[in-house]
Amino acid sequence: MLRNFRELYQYRGLLFSLVQRELKARYRGSVLGFFWTFLNPMLQMLVYALLFSVYMRQKLPNYTFFMFVSLLPWNWFSSSLAGGASAISDRRDLMTKVRFPAQVLPATVVVTNLCNYILSLPLMLGLGLFFGEWMTWHVVAFPVVLLCQLCFTLAVVYIVSALNVRFRDLQHIVSNLLMMWFFLTPVLYPVTTIPEAFRQWMVLVNPMAILVTSYQAIFYEHRLPDFGSLMALLSGAFALLWVASQVFERRREEFAESI
Amino acid sequence: MPADNADAIVIRDVVKSFRKSTIRREYTTFKSELIRWIRGQRQQEEMRLIEALRGINLTIPKGRTVGILGRNGSGKSTLLKLITGIYTPTSGSIQVNGRISALLDLGAGFHPDFSGRENILINGIILGMSRAEALERMDDIIAFSELGDFIDEPVRTYSSGMYMRLAFSVATHVDPDILIIDEILAVGDQHFSKKSLAKMTEFKAKGKTIVLVTHDLVSVERWCDMAAWIDAGRIRRVGTPAEVALEYRRAVELAEEQSMVMQPSALVADGAGLPQVTVLRPVTGPQASAEQRSGSFRLEVSRIRLLSSGGVERAEVDTEEPLEVSLDFLSKEPLSGVHFEVVFRREDGVQVYTTGTRGAKLELPSPLPERGNLRLRLARLGLLPGNYFVDVCARGTQDEVLDFQRGLHGLKVSSPSAEGGLVRPLHEWSFEPYAASPAREERTQVIA
Repeated sequence: MLRNFRELYQYRGLLFSLVQRELKARYRGSVLGFFWTFLNPMLQMLVYALLFSVYMRQKLPNYTFFMFVSLLPWNWFSSSLAGGASAISDRRDLMTKVRFPAQVLPATVVVTNLCNYILSLPLMLGLGLFFGEWMTWHVVAFPVVLLCQLCFTLAVVYIVSALNVRFRDLQHIVSNLLMMWFFLTPVLYPVTTIPEAFRQWMVLVNPMAILVTSYQAIFYEHRLPDFGSLMALLSGAFALLWVASQVFERRREEFAESI
Repeated sequence: MPADNADAIVIRDVVKSFRKSTIRREYTTFKSELIRWIRGQRQQEEMRLIEALRGINLTIPKGRTVGILGRNGSGKSTLLKLITGIYTPTSGSIQVNGRISALLDLGAGFHPDFSGRENILINGIILGMSRAEALERMDDIIAFSELGDFIDEPVRTYSSGMYMRLAFSVATHVDPDILIIDEILAVGDQHFSKKSLAKMTEFKAKGKTIVLVTHDLVSVERWCDMAAWIDAGRIRRVGTPAEVALEYRRAVELAEEQSMVMQPSALVADGAGLPQVTVLRPVTGPQASAEQRSGSFRLEVSRIRLLSSGGVERAEVDTEEPLEVSLDFLSKEPLSGVHFEVVFRREDGVQVYTTGTRGAKLELPSPLPERGNLRLRLARLGLLPGNYFVDVCARGTQDEVLDFQRGLHGLKVSSPSAEGGLVRPLHEWSFEPYAASPAREERTQVIA
């Protein structure tokens, strides 16, 4: 694992340039250009806001803001996974024609989406001001949650991208699983909506639930997240990252041949 | 540091097999893998392997330009990818000393929506430059590509020639210790390929190691210090370019003569190689370097003279003059079935005329006497001005090369005529005006 990350650090220039390019490329050629970074989550939020504060009324105060707080990190995770699944299998040109450090590709997807998330944070905070939800000192816990999610996302994307080279079904399975995962994670509803009987259980097996509720705690409920479960998640994420490196390392040799 | 530090690339017993992506025409999916696993068909593993390389040993010293020859599917590109590190060998080891840059495909990672300038940066980094290096060499790269103002346009608007020029410029500015090239020297128009060749020469002069895969034997002979011929996943021969190219050519000719059906060698169990030809190692005599003379020398062509009218030996001849090629031979043992060939070749390698005693049905005594003289008489040379070589080859039974002298005898042809091309056939221009057509006269008469 260490070797993997040392190499990743060694190729940080490449990673940086690729992320920069991805960010620029996403909206290149569109009229509104970089504005789409903000416009996309805004429009998505409008749809859900219409659905849940007008049609299926939620009793939560400032529901739109609540949803926005959890939707943005979920978007980071889900687009990383959806894009990361084919990160290696789609880049035949890089894998078969030049000596290219494969681990940079999944990392690029994750980091690009992280940048998108961070860039849309001001939007979220602005929305908070609009609803009268001011940021409190609890935000100090934010970097920790961010780190947890980064490790977890990286690990999952590494495994999926490595396996997808051989089994292309995976990218389709992943996109469908993500949909289910989305509704099982308390993104659109507070965790208290889950029936008492298996609430604890649902949250424990779903790392994304821990993460999303932590974001909600910091920005919406203005309290510190539950550090116990966060630390458990972080160590779990590290273990998963180790497994991911092993899987990736073992599969890596066949990338160029199987693509 | 190991003692073999003088070698840029050391390849030892490298075997590379590939897994077939289809089993009975089915792609690997979860379903197929699952079914296979349930049925316990693991033992079929070796059935599904393709052997591309079957044990390669090759050492490339630093600063040499090495040409790799071989027909399609013989494993050349696989070898390059192994050297580059894109593939890992199934067994064996590859040791590379120095920074390596491979031009296997131009423009890897180019993004069509980005400008040439932006793509130089990212492509440069992908090819192994640091960001700072890429920025520093940006102006040189742009200048070399000759794209001018187009450099700030998106790459998708480029013509394919412009695209290749840009990609080639980046690739050659990486400044590697070892450069690996797969058949892409012919980039762009004539002007640009001249520049590319100049860049190659510069690389050579700087003492860089170059590994080149090509089908163009002439460029191998001209550019390389060393050649390796890969056939059916094995090294068939390593040696001087002339030697290897000669043997390769003969093998291909022989295969054509026998009208061999070429199969992808990796799919055939023991490899479908080209037929064996016997080109023995040349005896390096004092008068000939190995590049230019080869054969077993059981018979030697001891003297070759180019005689013009009156039996005068001359190195410069007029197009219209007669020419006589006189060969004196010395046979060291009684040989039967000997025949001779004379090839007129322009200096760039184009064969102008090949003739042999066998084709001309000239019966030579068998066994051949110990000494003798053979003459080929051209009543009129008929070649247009230029520099030519007269190559001579003596062959024994089964085409054994006895003595092959290539590029040793120059012939300069001069002529006052202002004509273009290679040969000047006997010819005559004539002109005849049409007389008034008799047919029309007749018709006029009828009407009248």
